[in-house]
Amino acid sequence: MKRKLRGRGVAASWYGIARTATIDRAGAWAELDDGGTGKVVTGVTEIGEGILTLLCQVAAEEFGIKPEQVTIGDNDTARSPEAAHAGATRQTYMIGNSVALACREARGRLFDELADHWDVPVEDLRAFDGFAWAENTNKRMSMAEAVALCKQRGVVPVGSGSFTAHGTGLDPVDGHGSPWQAYVFGTQVAEVEVDTVTGEVQVMGIWAAHDVGRAINPRGVAGQIEGGVVQGLGQALMEDYQTSEGHPVTHGFAKYILPTALDIPEINTTIVEDPDPLSPLGAKGIGEPALVPTAPAIMNAIYDAVGVRIRSLPATPEKVLAALAEKRAHDMN
Amino acid sequence: MPEFDIDFTVNGRPVSRRIDPSLRLLDLLREGLALTGAKEGCGAGECGTCSVFIDGKLVKSCLMPAAKAQGASIETVEGLARPGELTPVQKAFHRTGASQCGYCIPGMVMAATSALRENPDAGLEELKERMGGNICRCTGYTKIIEAVEIARDVVAGKLPQTALDPEGVGASWIGHNTARLDAPSKVSGRLAYAGDMVMPGMLHMQVLRSPHAHARIVRIDTSEAEALPGVACVVTADDVPGEDGFGVFVHDQPVMARGKVRHVGEAVAAVAAESVRIAREALKLIRVEYEELPGLYDPEDALKPGAPVIHDYCPDNVVKHIPVRKGDIEAGFAAADVIIEDEFATQQVEHAYLEPEAGLAYVDHDDVVTVISPSQNITHHRHMLADILARPINKVRFIMSPVGGGFGGKEDMIYQGMLALAALKTHRPIRLIFTREESIACSAKRHPSRTRYRMGLTNDGRITAIEFSLLADGGAYGMSSEGVMRKAAILSCGPYEVDNLKVDTKVVYTNNTPSGAFRTFGGMQAQFATESMMDIAAERLGLDPFEIRRRNMMRAGSLTHTQQKLNSAAIDRVLDAAEASSGWEPGAPTVRGSTRGDLAGPGTRQPCTLGARFATAGADIETVKVAS
Amino acid sequence: MLTCDTYLMPTRLGEALHAWSEAPAGSRLVAGATDILPYAREGRGGDVHLPTMIDLSRVAELQGYEVRGNRVRLGANVVYQQFLEDPTLVRLLPNMPSCAVWFADDQIRQQATLVGNLVNASPAGDGLPPVLTLNGEIELARLESGQIATRTMPVADFITGPGRTELRDGEIATAVTVDAMEGYGGSFQKVGMRRSLVISAVCCAALVKTDPSGRIFEDVRLALGGIGPRPIRLYDIEDMLRGQEMTRELVARASLLPADRVASRSRVAYRRAVVSGFIEAAIEDALVALGAPKPTPEQREALHA
Repeated sequence: MKRKLRGRGVAASWYGIARTATIDRAGAWAELDDGGTGKVVTGVTEIGEGILTLLCQVAAEEFGIKPEQVTIGDNDTARSPEAAHAGATRQTYMIGNSVALACREARGRLFDELADHWDVPVEDLRAFDGFAWAENTNKRMSMAEAVALCKQRGVVPVGSGSFTAHGTGLDPVDGHGSPWQAYVFGTQVAEVEVDTVTGEVQVMGIWAAHDVGRAINPRGVAGQIEGGVVQGLGQALMEDYQTSEGHPVTHGFAKYILPTALDIPEINTTIVEDPDPLSPLGAKGIGEPALVPTAPAIMNAIYDAVGVRIRSLPATPEKVLAALAEKRAHDMN
Repeated sequence: MPEFDIDFTVNGRPVSRRIDPSLRLLDLLREGLALTGAKEGCGAGECGTCSVFIDGKLVKSCLMPAAKAQGASIETVEGLARPGELTPVQKAFHRTGASQCGYCIPGMVMAATSALRENPDAGLEELKERMGGNICRCTGYTKIIEAVEIARDVVAGKLPQTALDPEGVGASWIGHNTARLDAPSKVSGRLAYAGDMVMPGMLHMQVLRSPHAHARIVRIDTSEAEALPGVACVVTADDVPGEDGFGVFVHDQPVMARGKVRHVGEAVAAVAAESVRIAREALKLIRVEYEELPGLYDPEDALKPGAPVIHDYCPDNVVKHIPVRKGDIEAGFAAADVIIEDEFATQQVEHAYLEPEAGLAYVDHDDVVTVISPSQNITHHRHMLADILARPINKVRFIMSPVGGGFGGKEDMIYQGMLALAALKTHRPIRLIFTREESIACSAKRHPSRTRYRMGLTNDGRITAIEFSLLADGGAYGMSSEGVMRKAAILSCGPYEVDNLKVDTKVVYTNNTPSGAFRTFGGMQAQFATESMMDIAAERLGLDPFEIRRRNMMRAGSLTHTQQKLNSAAIDRVLDAAEASSGWEPGAPTVRGSTRGDLAGPGTRQPCTLGARFATAGADIETVKVAS
Repeated sequence: MLTCDTYLMPTRLGEALHAWSEAPAGSRLVAGATDILPYAREGRGGDVHLPTMIDLSRVAELQGYEVRGNRVRLGANVVYQQFLEDPTLVRLLPNMPSCAVWFADDQIRQQATLVGNLVNASPAGDGLPPVLTLNGEIELARLESGQIATRTMPVADFITGPGRTELRDGEIATAVTVDAMEGYGGSFQKVGMRRSLVISAVCCAALVKTDPSGRIFEDVRLALGGIGPRPIRLYDIEDMLRGQEMTRELVARASLLPADRVASRSRVAYRRAVVSGFIEAAIEDALVALGAPKPTPEQREALHA
């Protein structure tokens, strides 16, 4: 037998977006501010996933300014509207859409004044990247001027948004119900190399294809997929919180083993866009779904490589080697 | 207090201090010099969030007694570039999106800087090795390593400076790779997490935790601890004025153990004192008398008749059972050509966010109790804390500090209540920072699970019926268990249209560390079983793994397992995309690794064999030999 | 949490020995200090109070290394990173670079010393097996009537069990002296739960020299770690190989022998299975370091067929 054997496996997955089997809701306030800048306030944002940047992109798009011109006030129950929690792959979907709605309303106030000032139909107005203009005319001004004009006319361009996702509860007897209004799907292929002397498994490549609805920041989506894949890899191969009669055995990171840069595969991401028809942005989400298929894809790849099926995670070197020994004994009989 | 005089240089500035010789260099930098760019992630040299240069060599400052810096020149992340400027490494981290939560990032920037200072030409494998002592939990390292390679090439002139510039925008910001706006504060170490925050007159909290998995508390005597000079107060369950209980679905967990402890590490009492050291001394003076109770450590045992009862409200120990039924399972199995049965298990998993739990509480001028913490759910926490403190909801305020990784693990209000009680009792600001060990022992985990699976299929690979039964260990408190079981049940049988199914997910109380919310919320446990079964079935039926999935996949108009009609289902598209991008060679999964032709191709990395830098070292040896 | 009353940083050995002999019970010597701080934490030593910590890292007599004929005296303050970066040490101690690259990480290696690793005597200590193959002798200093006296003993005898050594009260380990092995190929095998910053489940160190023809094993040295209370040198296998023609069959036969030496309390079956493969791989890698071609997977496969 060769010492190092390779194989490939695939796993598919699906996932629901936002809170499960209930109505989900989020609120935001917005203001087009002096100097053509933007102000957004909402109740829950960044836990590392990049939602702040995404919200700035969404606000910039709706306001007609640049992302770096948006200031976000957030995360304070006494100063910002309710947006509930940071989880359930709901940030882009719930907060993103509520911010879009709030900004859209604020821009509408400004456009009403601008349309009146220019004497053009409001539907002809556009704004992007710091400028407002009327289609098919030579009327154009900076957003700083537009905000000043709006205020001179006695109007502060503010708006608010509340976005709802209509999930329903499950029937207590047969579980029927519509827990989410948006679903995403994913598939990952894993290629592994199994060391038959040590039982170590190295994941050489992951090809991850995920539907995210609409990728507002593709690089950010890829970052979420890479992070999810490596957490999935950790659970697949090494992470194992253990207790003995309730007493933790894996006290710290010397015993609770996490993947390092040396353990990661090359991750090849393909973003698939199946836009959500029920929301302004069309985006869905990726935070959680990214890691669902990783561990089964790796286990299927280990089987392809060496013919042992690991049914109990994680596939530690010891477990893989024991399974190989068992298989050899079985094959000889 | 013992003293040690130390003179050293920090970021080019001479510093003289009289210090407690017990301090670690990390403490001296963070507490003594307010250089909080170096973070404490583990305190044991295992994560690299605290890396600093000492006389040009990168070290982990949590492993170094401060005294060792005597006479040394120290460079921290704050010293890499002047305020408002970024080094090429920092710019590249910004450019690629290498920072997510940002908590590991100052250490990562330092490790990257060190790697390139040691070898400006280091290749990919060597870079990974040199950065192998720094853990990141968010990014999967990919964009970090990409950033270091870009920085290397820009510095070497192999890439233009413009490689570090932002991407231009087309006609829309939607779909644009806007560089993270919060990255500059993260790559420079300026972003303050809760544990980096200080307030004038701030007290420090330490928590006494249960050494028993299941025990009745006979009495708690805090008098000696309260009498210790420097102690401001001790809080226990007796200090809770309102309705004591929190949890995501059922409020079964008291702020601190009330009457009994249900898991090792459960908070029993907390001390607020002038320093962490005094607070820890005081913990040793709290007398708790326990009467141990028989414990439950296996979820199967929890279901047995006569099993110990962990919560009085729940005599059968079942936190939640979610049934899902569709079609006629008997008919489905009767129509099957093959029936496959198997069992799968997943382990308990720690979130391991690099930022341990931390919080700061105070009572403001409007008599509002304010808690600043990296909470993932300030809305719900405010509701619960208002009930616990018996205050109007507008007199309780939660501020979510920058979250140094969450993944679901910071949805539970496991320490904010203690901080609020102590702030009310002392009217002084008070801060608590968990140790890594505390974080691991006391925060919720991913539910460990066992799944029994029975799947019927026709010879052409169509699933005719699935019977799926998952049992999860919820540990000592309910936390998110109910929701996790619901999601596991809804998603259980995967993205496949199954006409006949019987799904049960059940979670029980035990005296193990509680399980709770963790990225996928039950979705991965269930689908690990399903996706393993799909391959087992594919091998049995001689079908390619993609093909068997396509034959069963959901489509627009499909009814889900909970009988929801789907408007669209992109499973066909993601299967196609993964198959195409990986260059998958079709075939049944019959252990064909040794014969398949699609291995080790584009999109795979090099095997990790340590010693990538020896190529350079070897060149040196040759030189030495020639010279001698 | 680690606390201490007094932190001393002597610069001369006499000063250090004096301080050590005067130090209150429960005091401790540190060099890199990379073990004591992780120890003083929940789940391990808990809160640890040391009356006095004596930091040896500035003691002049413990710095650097010295080549003395065919031996190298490594001062107790030589840190792991030096085995990777110092060209002379890389040349003379051919299995230390690969050992060092597996040891902890680049940052901890800047602080952690080889002698500290020996004194801690962890059964999983990565530095122990290569030092056995290098015939390491540890140097221990003490004060006798106010004068510095030293004794030396083989590291193999010095380490008596897990965390147990022959170090006596008042003694300080000042150096380890090892064979200079220029011309040997060296290698180090290790498996843990991942590839960086991880504790060994099993490790194996090898040194191999071939005759000028490149066909005969002129010398072979092998040692195992992680397989019992202390590391072991595999003299019988060395004898079996020395002077013999280098054939894959011989190496394969030799590699089967040491499985029964595994005397760990846990994971015995796993360690036994790994050990045989490691002997073979260690010899192969050492030969590759000498310039031999890496055997192809097919050659390996044919061997075991």
